Amino acid sequence: MMTSGRLAVLSSGVAIGAIAAYALLIRVAIVRNHPEGYVIAAALGTALAALAVVRARVRRWPAWLALGLASLLLVGGAWFNFVLARIPDTPTTLRVGERPPDFTLPDAAGRPVSLAGYRGKKPVVLVFYRGYW
Amino acid sequence: MAELQGLGAQLSEAERAGVEIVAVSPDPNEHSQKLAEGLRLGYRFVADRDLAVTRRYGLVHAGGGPDGQDVPRPATVVLDRDGVVRWFSVSRNFQVRPDPDDVLRAVRAL
Repeated sequence: MMTSGRLAVLSSGVAIGAIAAYALLIRVAIVRNHPEGYVIAAALGTALAALAVVRARVRRWPAWLALGLASLLLVGGAWFNFVLARIPDTPTTLRVGERPPDFTLPDAAGRPVSLAGYRGKKPVVLVFYRGYW
Repeated sequence: MAELQGLGAQLSEAERAGVEIVAVSPDPNEHSQKLAEGLRLGYRFVADRDLAVTRRYGLVHAGGGPDGQDVPRPATVVLDRDGVVRWFSVSRNFQVRPDPDDVLRAVRAL
């Protein structure tokens, strides 16, 4: 049976650890593509802290502190992931089975690259990205 | 960059030779191109500075940039040799990129 104090520490470890791990491992695809992981971990941390509060007998403040911290990370993390990081749905013109719009754009050396130029030659993987992380 | 490296690293030499990876962004710098060449990844980085092409693809995230500017929605499209879309993935959360395994599977299924 874990004491309240230990639960409080464990709770904080889980919540802070999850967010730190996400930030440190963000270049790893499986971590970055599952941000709900840190939200779930923060929820777990909150549950552990709530248990710590329930079990607290003499010194209550560590449990309450842990609960405050975990709840804050849970709300903040969920807000970031489900609200701030969301991209609004915009209608894309892409359709499986159709050709996308043709284009000619300059490469890093200024040479023109034409999408239609690959037709009959090579398959193409087009990656649209922001240009910065 | 990390996702592009992941994609390139998973394709075999033969697959990389048989597919052209074109990375489109509003501001690819020479640094990206040099990095890709140094890693022998075979990407073409092209600049869509005014987002005209990105807009034609319906892939602009209005006001999504850090200064409130329009930015592209992260997206990956696999075209076959006839230039026809066979698979694509558009991100709904800017933290998330298409799973490189999904892209790989789509390329191998061509």
